Amino acid sequence: MINLLDVSYVRLGTRDLEGATRFAVDYLGLEISEHGKATICFKSDAREYTLCYFEGNPADQAVAFEVRDKEDLDAAASELERIGHAVRSGTDGEAAARHVKGFIAFKDPSGNGIELVYRPAHSGKRYRGSRDAGITGFSHVGLCSTDVTRDERFWTRVCNARVSDRIGDAPLLRIDEVHHSIALFPSDSTGIQHINHQVETGGDVMRSYHFLTEKSVPITFGPGRHPSSSARFLYFKGPDGMVFEYSSGVKSIADELLYRERQFPFDHAGFCHWGAKPKIQQFGN
Amino acid sequence: MIAIDQLRYVRLGTHDLSGAVDFAERVLGLQLVNRGENTAYFRSDMRDRTLVFFLGEATESAVGFEIHGRAQFDAAIAELSQHGIEAAIGTEQACAARNVRALASFRDPDGNMIELVLRPLNSGWRPFPARDAGIVGLQGVALRSRNVPACEALWTTLFNGRVSDWAGEAAFLRFDQAHHRLAYYPSAGRGILSIDFGVENVDLLMRNKYFLQSAQVKIVHGPGRRPTSNQIFLTFASPDETLFSFVTEGDDIADETTHRPRQFPRTGSSFCAWGSESDIREFC
Repeated sequence: MINLLDVSYVRLGTRDLEGATRFAVDYLGLEISEHGKATICFKSDAREYTLCYFEGNPADQAVAFEVRDKEDLDAAASELERIGHAVRSGTDGEAAARHVKGFIAFKDPSGNGIELVYRPAHSGKRYRGSRDAGITGFSHVGLCSTDVTRDERFWTRVCNARVSDRIGDAPLLRIDEVHHSIALFPSDSTGIQHINHQVETGGDVMRSYHFLTEKSVPITFGPGRHPSSSARFLYFKGPDGMVFEYSSGVKSIADELLYRERQFPFDHAGFCHWGAKPKIQQFGN
Repeated sequence: MIAIDQLRYVRLGTHDLSGAVDFAERVLGLQLVNRGENTAYFRSDMRDRTLVFFLGEATESAVGFEIHGRAQFDAAIAELSQHGIEAAIGTEQACAARNVRALASFRDPDGNMIELVLRPLNSGWRPFPARDAGIVGLQGVALRSRNVPACEALWTTLFNGRVSDWAGEAAFLRFDQAHHRLAYYPSAGRGILSIDFGVENVDLLMRNKYFLQSAQVKIVHGPGRRPTSNQIFLTFASPDETLFSFVTEGDDIADETTHRPRQFPRTGSSFCAWGSESDIREFC
């Protein structure tokens, strides 16, 4: 079994690096940690970076998960190849650019770009956004899935993810005590469905709601509260149509033995118990 | 007895407002709230302001304390008057400039300006300064005095000030649980000696030390630890030669009934337990 320890970073291609950077810094509230010619890395917590925009095709996306060491990485590569996934080992140059010791890249069964890394870099510097969004860190991703039942099997059988709750057939998956680090949503296409950053308080969610509304950033869902994770949330649209989420107060699951996943309806009440209605295709619109 | 609710702000006279603003934002790491033609004020915590620079003389610099409630405020003015101190009542304009409902000012026995204010403004938003110095708020002010015992007596007899410790004649006065909010140092002159801003922890204090060094700010004392309050401190000078300190940790006076002020000798080791030395005459 592939033991995922943490969700490390997201890499997103963009045709407009300057515009994406402006969004990440001025609106999202991240801090530039590295400004390359064709790639820009952003920090959201104590890690070296958690988001990277690079000049390229916006469909070229990857989310990275941390594994313990080289041994676990090699074992994961063999296991993935055994069950029929094409695995590519990252070169030293690519690993250095990603600030990791080593990594492999493959596609999940839906075709989403996944990277497994070991020893991703932390930084000695604490995160400091250019605006006071109250971000405490990059926390989870939503992934598009062309077959959620098949993909749930992949993440829970091949990898160590556990189902925390389901909204309709969409599973919210945890790899540690945080309610979910991966969420799978039924979709016709593939790709990262949303990128979540945690913020300090519910007040920060609301402050960003007013700030982003004033800046005419399209709010696609919320402010609301998820019945599943009990987090207060706000979804909004960023560059290349990518959906970003702020949330605060996500439930943590301390007791692995006693916890049982719950089934929520795949309608707006299953996504929000305040009554907000999503304008997000994969949430049933 | 006049009850001080809390230390609110320090007003500093300067002849170079632009330089002072640059220092407060870039070096100190405070958030500029408003800049006018003759004044600029800054916040460091949930209070609307804790530091104000105005174009003017240093002799007009002042320390602001809050009195809670109109009745207590009026009683304070009457009590000062009974003891021969005629407080000047602030005009509407002066109140508006300070964002307070009422203002009364007087001078301590050595001529340092003290302002008493009613209902000073707080802010609904947490501060977000341009530089991440990790400041958590204004913590204390130190004044110079040629007659510390008289100044000390003013605060401990007319006001609710209590002496927490002495180092030589230097007196550390508290008004709440903090070891001191106001300190008097024997000096050849008078005026504001130094202003303490708290930072989150020792990491931030040391980060600030290296930042100040790289910004070529004159560090005059520390990093060190004050044997009296147990605060870790780093003291540096502004372009106007006013001293500022970043402080962290430090002891509260938990039990008012059992705390007895201690007398420390007037030596450098009473001002720093780590052995940092200073050329500032008041500290050695």
